[in-house]
Amino acid sequence: MPRFQLAPRTIRLQLAVNIIVLGSIYALIACGYVLIYRVSRVLNLAHGELMMLGAYLVLATASLFNGHPVMALAAAILLSLLTGGLVYIFLMRKMTGEMVLAAILTTVALGILIRGVVFLIWSAQQQYPAQALGVSNPSFVLFGGARISFWSAALVATTIAVYGALFIFLRFGRWGTRMRAAGQNPLLAAQRGINLHGVYALAWSLSTLTGAFAGILMALDSGLTSSMPVIGLKAFPAALVGGLDSFAGALVGALIVAGAEVLLIYYVDPLLSDVVPFLVLIAMLIVRPWGLFGTREELDRV
Amino acid sequence: MLNRILLGGLAACAMALPAAAQDVYLVGVTAALTGPPSSTYAPAVDALRLYIDRVNAAGGVNGKQIKLVIEDDGAQPSKAAANTKKLITQDNVVLMVNASLSSTYAPVIAESKNANVPLLFASGVCPQSVYPPANPLQFCTTGYASQFDSRATLDFVKAAAKGPVKMGFSAMAIPLSRGEMDYAMELSKKMDIEPVDQEVIPPPTADYTPFATKLKDAGPNWVYSWAPWVTQVRTLEALRKLGWQDDYIAWGHLEAESELARLKDGKFYVVNSNALFQEKEPIHQDIEAAASKAGSKFPAQTMTEGWIGGMAIEAALKGAGWPADPAKVRAEMENLKIDTKGLRGGPIEWTKDNHFRTRLYYRVYKWDGDKIARVQDWKVYEVK
Repeated sequence: MPRFQLAPRTIRLQLAVNIIVLGSIYALIACGYVLIYRVSRVLNLAHGELMMLGAYLVLATASLFNGHPVMALAAAILLSLLTGGLVYIFLMRKMTGEMVLAAILTTVALGILIRGVVFLIWSAQQQYPAQALGVSNPSFVLFGGARISFWSAALVATTIAVYGALFIFLRFGRWGTRMRAAGQNPLLAAQRGINLHGVYALAWSLSTLTGAFAGILMALDSGLTSSMPVIGLKAFPAALVGGLDSFAGALVGALIVAGAEVLLIYYVDPLLSDVVPFLVLIAMLIVRPWGLFGTREELDRV
Repeated sequence: MLNRILLGGLAACAMALPAAAQDVYLVGVTAALTGPPSSTYAPAVDALRLYIDRVNAAGGVNGKQIKLVIEDDGAQPSKAAANTKKLITQDNVVLMVNASLSSTYAPVIAESKNANVPLLFASGVCPQSVYPPANPLQFCTTGYASQFDSRATLDFVKAAAKGPVKMGFSAMAIPLSRGEMDYAMELSKKMDIEPVDQEVIPPPTADYTPFATKLKDAGPNWVYSWAPWVTQVRTLEALRKLGWQDDYIAWGHLEAESELARLKDGKFYVVNSNALFQEKEPIHQDIEAAASKAGSKFPAQTMTEGWIGGMAIEAALKGAGWPADPAKVRAEMENLKIDTKGLRGGPIEWTKDNHFRTRLYYRVYKWDGDKIARVQDWKVYEVK
C-alpha cells in the first residue's frame, strides 16, 4: 500500500543514510566504468566480475595471512590492481585498433571466464570474508537515531577518498595528465611520445582497483555470492545518467539512482528497486541523452 | 583418405555411444549450479553425485551402474527447458531431476510431460502438483514445501510468543517465495497474528538496509521469511544493523547449521524438516565421510537434500528392474517408501495420489549461548 505521508524524522534520517550508502556503492562501481571509457572508449562489461574477483581474492589472502586482516586486505587490493593490468596486457591490448564493439564483446567473454573461474575455485556457496578475516561489523548510532554499519561507513569514506584521489591524480599527476590526453586524442598523444599502452594498462588497473574496493567492502558488510556481478550491472545506469566520460557525473548519477531507489522502496513498492536504475536511465536518455555531465559529442559512441 | 578415416571413426563413436548408454541407468539432472541462488542447489547436486557414486562403487542397482547426466541451467527457465529437452531426447534418460529455482519448473514440467518421463524435484521447493491429488509424472523429496512450512512456522510462533504477535514478512521477488508469504499473511490473520508488512526483495540486492528500514518501521515483534537463504539471512542482518532486536524465524535451508553458528543470534529460529548434523546420527557420519573422501567443496551439513534425492533414485531404479524405461520408473515411484535413516523425522512415502509424502515432520532450532539448541522436536503434520 503506497504511503505518501512524510515519514518520522528518525526514518527520514535513516533514509538519507541509506541513500548515501547505496549511492556510494554505485559511485564506487561506476567510476571504474568511467575510467576505462574515458581513456579507451571501451565499455567494460566485465567490471562487475572484476569487482567480484577482488572480493573473492580476500578469501584467498585471508587464509594466506591468517590473523593479519590488514595484510590480507592490502594483498587482495594489490592483487586486484595487478589483475587489471594483466587483463589489459594479455587480453585488451590485442583489441587496440580493433572495432570498439569487438573490445566490448571481449569484456563480455572475460566476464563469463571470471564467473567460471570463481565458481570452480570457491564454489557457489555464500562466503563471508569478514569471518575469514576475523573482523566484526558493529553498527553505530548517528545523529537523530539513524544507524550505519562499520563497513558501510568504510565504504562511504572509501568512495570519498577514491574520488578525491582520482581528481588530484587526473588534474595534477603526470600520468593523470597523460591519461586525459590519451582519452581526448590518442593519435596526438602518441605522437607527443605518450606510451598509450602504459596509460591504458594503468586505467584498467585503477578501474579494477576501484571495483575491488566496492566488492570487498560490500562483501565485508553483508557477505559474498557469485551473483555480485549483477550489482555491477545495476551501477552502470548511474554512470550513464551522469555522463559516461565524467567522474562528477558518475557521483551525481549514483546519488540520483540511489535516491530514487531508496525512496521508492519506502514510499511506493520495494519491487521497484530492481527497475529504478533503468527507469532513471530511460528518463535521462529522453531528456539529455549524453548524461548530466557527459560530453555531447560522445553521444554516438554511447 | 584421412577424411574418410575421421568420418568412419566418428560414425563408430556415434554408434557406440547409445550402446554404452543402454548398459546403465541414465538419470538427467538440470540444476542451478551457477547463478544467484546456486548456493542452495549446487551442494545438493554434489551430494546426489556422491550418493550415486557410492551406490555404483557398491555394485550399482540390479547389477547396473547409474549415470547422472548433469546440466547447469543457471536458474534460468530457458536454459532449464533446453537442458531437459536435450536430456530426454538425446540422452534418453529414464528419470529427470530438477534441482533448481522454482521459475524453471514450468518449462521442465512441460518437456517432461511431452516425453512422459517422470520428474523428481530434489532440493528445489516441492510444487503443489505433487500434493494429493498428484500429477502422475511429478514427485518430490525436498524438505521444504509451500503452505505446510508456513503452517508449521506460524504454529510454532503462536506457541512460543509470550504476548500478541505483530508479524513482518520477507520474500524474494520470485513467484513461490512471494506466493508463500501472501499465503502466510492470510493464514496469520486466521491465527490471531497481526501481519504488519511484507517486503519483496529482488535478487540480488546491493544493500538490504532500505528494505529492512521499511520492515522495521512497521513495528513487528516477529519477522518470518521463506525465501532462498541469501534473502532470509541478509534481511535479518540488515534488521540487526538497524537495531531491531526481536524474534526472526526462517526456513532452515542447507546453510542453516553453519549460519546459526556464525550469527550466534539467540532470537533467530530456523524451522527445519531435516535433522541438523549436530544430532550426530550414523547417516550424518556416512555423509561426512563421503564428502571428505571425495574432497567436496561443500560442507557435509549442506548435503542432506541431495543425499535423500539419491536414496529416492536408487529405490526407484531398484524397483523398476532392468531394463528400465520411464514408464516402469514412474510406476515404481507411485508406491515407494524411502527410509531416510534419521535425516528426516520419518520415511518419505509416495502413493498413487500423493507424490509428496503422507506425513511431514518439523523441528525448530536456534542458537542458545554456545551451541545450536533444538527448541521444538519433530512435530507431525498429516498430508491429505
